[in-house]
This record gives sequence, C-alpha cells and structure tokens, in this order.
Amino acid sequence: MKKSKLQGLRQLPVGTRIVTIFCLAWALLVALLPIVWLFISSLKSDPLARPGFQLPESICLDGYISTFRDLHVMRYFGNSMFIAIVSVTISIVMISMSAYVVARMNFKGKGLVNMMLATTLFIPPTALTYPVYNLINRLGIYNTRAALILIYACSGIAISFFVIKNYYDHVPVELEDAARIDGCNHIQTFWHVIFPIARPGIMTAAVLAFLNNWNEYYWASLVIIDRDKLTVPALLSTFTTSFRTNYNGLFSAMVVIILPPILLYCCFNKFFIEALSGGAVKG
Amino acid sequence: MKKQNKKATPRRGKLGMDRKIFIVLFLAPTLIAFCTFYLYPLVTVFFTSFCKWDYTNITKPEFWDWDQLFNNYKYIFETYPYFWEALRNSTVWALLGVFFQIPVATLIALAFSRKVRGVKVIRNIYIIPCMISSAALGMIFLQLYSPLYGVVNPVISLFKPGYSENILLQKGTAFWAMTAAYIFFTGTTTLMILGNIMAVSEEVREAATLDGASGLKQDFYITLPMIKNTLKTVSILAATSGFLLYNEVFFLTRGAAGTYSISYVIRELAITSPRTQFGRANSVAFIQIIAGMLIILFVNLVYELPSLWKRMVGGSK
Repeated sequence: MKKSKLQGLRQLPVGTRIVTIFCLAWALLVALLPIVWLFISSLKSDPLARPGFQLPESICLDGYISTFRDLHVMRYFGNSMFIAIVSVTISIVMISMSAYVVARMNFKGKGLVNMMLATTLFIPPTALTYPVYNLINRLGIYNTRAALILIYACSGIAISFFVIKNYYDHVPVELEDAARIDGCNHIQTFWHVIFPIARPGIMTAAVLAFLNNWNEYYWASLVIIDRDKLTVPALLSTFTTSFRTNYNGLFSAMVVIILPPILLYCCFNKFFIEALSGGAVKG
Repeated sequence: MKKQNKKATPRRGKLGMDRKIFIVLFLAPTLIAFCTFYLYPLVTVFFTSFCKWDYTNITKPEFWDWDQLFNNYKYIFETYPYFWEALRNSTVWALLGVFFQIPVATLIALAFSRKVRGVKVIRNIYIIPCMISSAALGMIFLQLYSPLYGVVNPVISLFKPGYSENILLQKGTAFWAMTAAYIFFTGTTTLMILGNIMAVSEEVREAATLDGASGLKQDFYITLPMIKNTLKTVSILAATSGFLLYNEVFFLTRGAAGTYSISYVIRELAITSPRTQFGRANSVAFIQIIAGMLIILFVNLVYELPSLWKRMVGGSK
C-alpha cells in the first residue's frame, strides 16, 4: 500500500510532479501561517517586545486565564450555539418539506417556485440591508436573538434547497408507491419513509447551514446591540476597544474563539469533507 | 407501517383534495420565508430607490417628482465621494474571484486528487481556515499587518530598512493587503471542485492514460472539461462573494485608504452614518443587485467563449 502510493508521485510526469508539490506546499503554508502565528503570539507575555515569528521567551498563559474569567466567552458560545441550532432546525425542516413537494409532485406553478428559489442564490443579501433592518424593527424584535434566528432561517434557502432536492431525486419512486399501497397518506409517507432515507442529504445541508450561521458576521453585528446577546463573530468587533493595549489578552481571546470550530472540525473532518464535496470525497 | 396507520387513520376524503392540501402545507413555510426575506425587501429596494427617504422622514418615504425621479442615483453617481471607488474595488474583487481564486482552487484540487502519501492530511489542514468565520480571519490579519508586532513589517524592512508605516493606512498597499486577507482561503471551493474531479470515472482516466495523456495534460484536456459546469457555478459564487465583500473592509480598514466596497457603502448610508440616507442606500443596493446579474452573465460568457471561438473558426474554414 505504502509503496504503491509513493510510486503515485513518481509516476507523474516531471512538470506535474513539480506543480503538485508546489501546490501542496502552498496549501499548507497558507492555511497554517496565520493560525500558527496567532497561537505563538498568544503565548508571549509582551508581543511588542518580540514581534513577528520570534518564539516567546517564556510561556505566558495569563491571557487565557483572563479570557475565561473576565470575558465570559462561554456565554457568547452559548448564544451562537443556540441561534445557529434553532435557525438551522427551522430552515432545514421547512426546506426538506418543500424540496420534497417540488422534487416529487406536479402542480401548477412548480416552475415558478423553482425559479424563485434559484434566484435567491444570486440576490446579494447586503443589498437587502435596510429593508430587512426595517422589517426587524417593525416586528419589534430588534436587538433580540429572535431577529437573528428569523434572518438565518430565511436566508440561504437556495443552497439547502438544491442540496436536499438533489438527494430526493436519487430516492427511488417505488418506495413511495409501496408506502402508499400500505395505506400511508402523503404526510406519513414523507415522515416515515422519505425523511429517514434522505437523512444524509439533509444532514449535508444542515452542516453547511450551521457553519454559515455560526460564522455569520454581517447580520449579527447589525441587529444585536446588547453585549450579552452577541454571537461569537460579533463579539470580535468589540475586541479592538476592549483590549486596547493588552495584546497578550487579545491574542489569547482570539485563539479561544477560533478553537471550537477547529476542534469540531478535527473530530468530524470526515463528515465535513463528505458534506462539502457532495459525498464524492472520502474523509 | 401498519402500526402507524392505526394511530392516525388516513384522510378518507378525495385523494386529489388531500394532495392539494399537502402541497400547499409543505410549500407554505418556504414561500413565506422567501417573501419576508427576499421578495418584500427586493420590492422595497426597487421602489424606495426612487424616493426621498432619509433621517428627516424616517417613517414616510416620498416618491421624487417625475422630473427628479433619478435624484438618488444622480447623487450617488455625481456627489457621493466613495461610490466609484467602491464600485471599482468590488469589481476588481469579483474579477479576482474568477481569474485568480478559481484557477488556484482548481490547481490545488488537482494536487489533492493525486494518490500521494500525506495528501489527505494536507487537504484536511487546508480546510481549517474555512471553518473560522471571515470576521475572525479579518481580525487575525489586522494583527499580522500591525507595524508594532506583526509579521509583514519585519519582512518589508528587509528590503526597505527602517520601514515603520502601517500598510493598511497607505493607499495602494491597503487594497492589496485586504485582498490577501481573504483571497487565498479557497478551502470550500477546492473541496467542491475536488468532489467533482473524483466523480469523473476512473475508466475515463485510465483510457486517457493509455492514450498517453497523463498528469496535468490529462487534467486539462479530459478532466476539467468534464466538470466545466461545476467550475462555472463556483466561479459565479466566487465572483459574487468578492463583489459583496464587507467583513474584511470593516475589520481591516473601515474604508480608509481607498478600500470602500459596495456593501460597505450601503451599510454606511443606511445604518452607520449619523445622517442616514435610506433612499440613496437602496439605490446603491439596486445597483448591486443588477451587478450580481451582470456577474452571472459575464461568467457564463467567459465559459462559453472557447466553444464560441471554435465554432467561429470552424465555420470560416
């Protein structure tokens, strides 16, 4: 096994081999440089004294201690988690229902529904800034978590819709016919037969949506003002003022903030990679 | 299956009626979401872009008179100081998406598709920055560019001894520094492309190898043409996200040193400015929507050009 894989590189033409090695090195460099630098800097008691890639004289963990003690990061993780999970659940349930109808049934206006949802992929959300902001205000949910849940549940319809519909298209129709003969009505067929079978596709869409909502900054910084309701990305913008000269604290807090998604990814990278590549790449 | 039937006896009414109710019931939530988040705002953006609507009449937008209907657009084009700068920057970012990000993402995806030891590890590492929010990446780059403790200034001072400026405050360098803060992180795009490369059947590749096309040659003549549609889609997505850039602008420069983007202009006019200009913000938003459509057209054109060219050359022969 080992041998044949090593031969893989040697079998390639010289030009391809060089390009491949260069690309791999580049990928590694680009991905690691900022994060490694951030981590090294977070261990320096005074980053000003040892700028750049100089290693710290001694390891200083004060920043990490104060991040948990004074910044209450766990609260913001809680906010982000809550908002992301609720909004993903709402949007995925909603979309897996309508994607099923569009994938399997014929009705008047089906083309229109398809087209409407497709266009949302290309409507720039930032163009809708003021109308959405205004709507949130008029609904009286400005500066609440509900506002963000509403926005996240309604945005990003298109991607989830196409991922899930694509999956339904691969479920054999015979299964539904069988269920129908057994006496299931439409809702039962959907809930007991189709939904369980399409679960991998639905999970893919859910993972993508969760990632998007967890990392979303634009709306989060727009509709929430109170510090204790902020999500993690929105919290970042308060850092430049709250850590004015405490660079060690700043770096440590940033490491703590980027760590959960990275750890989550390290544990479930197989899952993420299969989801993002449409199932064709094994993790 | 039988068991569940006992719990809820199926509706005895006409099956057709049943079906209709089912369709309406299952479509309704998504359609409501579409209307609240997309349709209603879109319509509002369009109509109020022709309205006088600012901090003086917050609750009551008023249409401009017929002869002044395009007042907001006129203001944006002629008076507002940042519009053309923003449009130029956003357009450059959109073009870089198509002509830089996608080629780089494709080359890396091709490298990941080789059966080489360790390639999986590198692939998994390459995705990591895409798991972090762009806000956090912006924040990290803000630190990297710091003249006090960053890594960029020490490198520059190798060539220019004593260099102590902040590159984010210099016109010219600021734009490219900001671009560098997001453009290299193509993890998700690379994975989507890689997914499609792997889906190209092994038989096709083997046949190509037997015909003497191996390595990059095989990729460019066999594999990539087969995944052209995917490349087109990710190009559109890359161009659009480049055009919509906001977080990087906010975290790195807040528009200083010639780095405004269209999204930043919209948000500034509509929300952040002390004298909010909703009507004018919505005119810029409408321009952004039109630009989004133009991007789709443009990318389609770019991908059709080779075959168009072939047809023209072939036709003249």
